[in-house]
Amino acid sequence: MNDSLRVVLAMMELELRRLRNDRTEVYTRAVQPVLWLVVFGTVFSEIHAIPTNGVPYIDFITPGVMLQSVLFVAVLYGLTLVWERDTGILKKLLVAPASRYATVIGRSMSSGVRAIIQVLIVIPVALLLGVRFIPNPAYFVAALAILFVISGGFAALSIIVASLLKTRERFMGIGQALILPLFFASNALYPIALMPHALQLVAAFNPLTYAVDAVRGLMITGNLALLPLDVAVIAFFDILMFAVASLSFRKIIE
Amino acid sequence: MTFAIATRGLKKVYKGSVEALAGVDLDVKAGDIFALLGPNGAGKTTLMRILTTQFKPTSGEAHIFGLDVVREGAEVRKVIGYVPQETSVWSDINGYENLLIYAKIYGLPSRSRKEVIYDMLESMGLRAVAGQLVKNYSGGMIRKLEIACAMLIRPKILFLDEPTLGLDPAARIAVWEKLTSFKEEFGTTVFFSTHYMDEANAYSDEVAIINVGRMVTSGTAEELKHSLRGELIKFSLSDRRVDEHTLGRIRGLERVNSVVVTDSTLNVTVEDAETALPGVMDVLRSGEISVVRIATTKPTLDDVFLRYAGTMRGSGAGARTTGRVEGEAGGNRRE
Ligand SMILES: Nc1ncnc2c1ncn2[C@@H]1O[C@H](COP(=O)(O)OP(=O)(O)OP(=O)(O)O)[C@@H](O)[C@H]1O
Ligand SMILES: [Mg+2]
Repeated sequence: MNDSLRVVLAMMELELRRLRNDRTEVYTRAVQPVLWLVVFGTVFSEIHAIPTNGVPYIDFITPGVMLQSVLFVAVLYGLTLVWERDTGILKKLLVAPASRYATVIGRSMSSGVRAIIQVLIVIPVALLLGVRFIPNPAYFVAALAILFVISGGFAALSIIVASLLKTRERFMGIGQALILPLFFASNALYPIALMPHALQLVAAFNPLTYAVDAVRGLMITGNLALLPLDVAVIAFFDILMFAVASLSFRKIIE
Repeated sequence: MTFAIATRGLKKVYKGSVEALAGVDLDVKAGDIFALLGPNGAGKTTLMRILTTQFKPTSGEAHIFGLDVVREGAEVRKVIGYVPQETSVWSDINGYENLLIYAKIYGLPSRSRKEVIYDMLESMGLRAVAGQLVKNYSGGMIRKLEIACAMLIRPKILFLDEPTLGLDPAARIAVWEKLTSFKEEFGTTVFFSTHYMDEANAYSDEVAIINVGRMVTSGTAEELKHSLRGELIKFSLSDRRVDEHTLGRIRGLERVNSVVVTDSTLNVTVEDAETALPGVMDVLRSGEISVVRIATTKPTLDDVFLRYAGTMRGSGAGARTTGRVEGEAGGNRRE
C-alpha cells in the first residue's frame, strides 16, 4: 500500500516537473474557460434568461466552467498515454515493480495536478468579473479536492479509451465526442429542472452533475444538502474507472 | 545451477495469427553477456518482452533466476532492468529528473537517492548535461540515460533491445565499456539484441541466432565461427598447371574441406588454417608447384549470421561471402 502511494506521488511529481518546463499548454488551455466566463457568463447575467435561485448567472456557471476545464484536461490525458505508448515509456513503466493499480491511479491523478492548475488560473479571472466565492478556506480546499478527485476518474476513463483505440487520430475523435455530451448533459450551465425529461435522466447518470453540485455548493451557494450524495457518487465513479482502467491498461502496449 | 534465463518451448502467436515465436529453448548463464542476433521480424523483441513480463507467452515457459515470468511476474520485475527498442525517457524534463522519478517509482531510499543518481550520471558520463532537458540530448546521450535508468536499482539482469541502434562508433564503445564494467563490478547479466555483428563478437560471452521465431544456433562467437569450418586459404600460383594428382592429394588431406582451382589461384577451404597450411604446402612442394602468395581468411560472425539466418541462402553467392563457405562447407557443418 505504502509502495503504491509512493508510485502515485512520483507520477504526480513527474507531471509538476513537466509543467514547470513547458507552461504554454497551461495558458492555451485557459483560453476556453476564460472565454466562457467573459462572454457567456456576462451576457447571460445581463439578460437574466436562466433562473438560478437569486445567484448571478456568472457565479452560477463558474463551477461549471471550472469542471469543463477539468474535464478537458482529464479526457485529453489519454493522449499523453498514446504518446507514451508510441515511445517505449509505457513498456518501461510496466516492467517497473509497481502494481498496475498504482500505475493507473498515478497516471490518472497526474491529470488532477494539471486540472487544479487550470482551475487556479480561472479563479482570478472569475474574481475580476465580480464572482463572489464563499470566503471559507475549508470549503475552498474541499472544492479543490473534489475537482482533483473527479479529474482522476475522467482521466481513468480516458485511459480506458486510449487502451482500446491506441492511435492518436482515433483517440482525438472519441475524446471530443466524449467531452461535449458530458458537459452539456449536466448542470454545468443550467439547472437540471430546466432540461427536457430525457436529458434530465442522462444528467442524473452523469458524474459531472454531482461534481458541479458539490463545487457549486462549496464555492458559491453554500447549499451542501446533497454533498454526501455527491461525494459518494464521485467516489464510486472513480473506483469503477480505476478498476476498469487497471484491467485494460496492459492492453495498451500489446 | 539456476540460469539467469531459461525458456522451454516458448511460443507467441499475436492476434491476427502471426507466429512470432515458434518454440524457443534458451539458457543464459548468470553473469554472462548474451547477444541475441536475428534478422528483422525474427522475434527478438517479442522474446524480450515476454521475458520482461510485458505479456504472456501463448505456450511454453520462461524463468528468470528461477522465477516464472507468468506466475511470479511481480518478483521478476524486482530483479530486472529493461531498455526497450524505442526511446523511453521523458523528453520534457531533464536527465536528473528522469532518474529521480524512476528512483522514486522503484523506491530507492530517499537518504541515498541523490548520491546514487549522481554516481550513475557520473559513470555514464552524463553529469555535465544532467540539468538539460532531454529533448536537447543526442541519441547517444539518450541511450546512456536509459541504461542509467535501468541500472539504478542494480538489477541482476539487464535486458537491452538494440542498445546501440543509431549510435556512432565512439558512443557505442562508450556504452559497451559501461555495460562490461557493470558485469565485472556487480555481476550483472546482460541480455541484448543487436544487428551489429562486431558488437556481439567483441563483447558477448555467448551468442544465439533466432530466425522466424526459432533459435537456429548458439554458442560463443568463436565456436560459431569455427562451426562453419570455412577458413579459406588462397594460394596464388606462378604457373597455371596444377595436375589432378596433386589436387587429389590435397583433397585427401585431413582437415581439408574443399579445393577449387581458378586460373592461377588455388582455393582451399579448411577447418583451421594454421594447422592445415603446412600439410597443403608439403603437397604443393612435392608436386613442384611454386606459390607466389598465400592469404588466409577466417569467417566472421557476419558469415555465421548469413549462414544461419538464411538471408543469403539459395540466393547465389553474395558479395560478402565471396562464394567462400557457400556450397562446399555447407554440407558438413557441425552438429
Ligand atoms: N504487437 C504486435 N502485434 C502483432 N504482430 C506483432 C507485434 N509485434 C511484433 N509482431 C510480429 O511478430 C514478428 C516478430 O516481431 P519482433 O518485433 O519480435 O521482431 P524483432 O526480431 O524484434 O525485429 P527487429 O529486428 O525489426 O526489431 C514480426 O512478424 C512482427 O510483425
Ligand atoms: Mg525488435
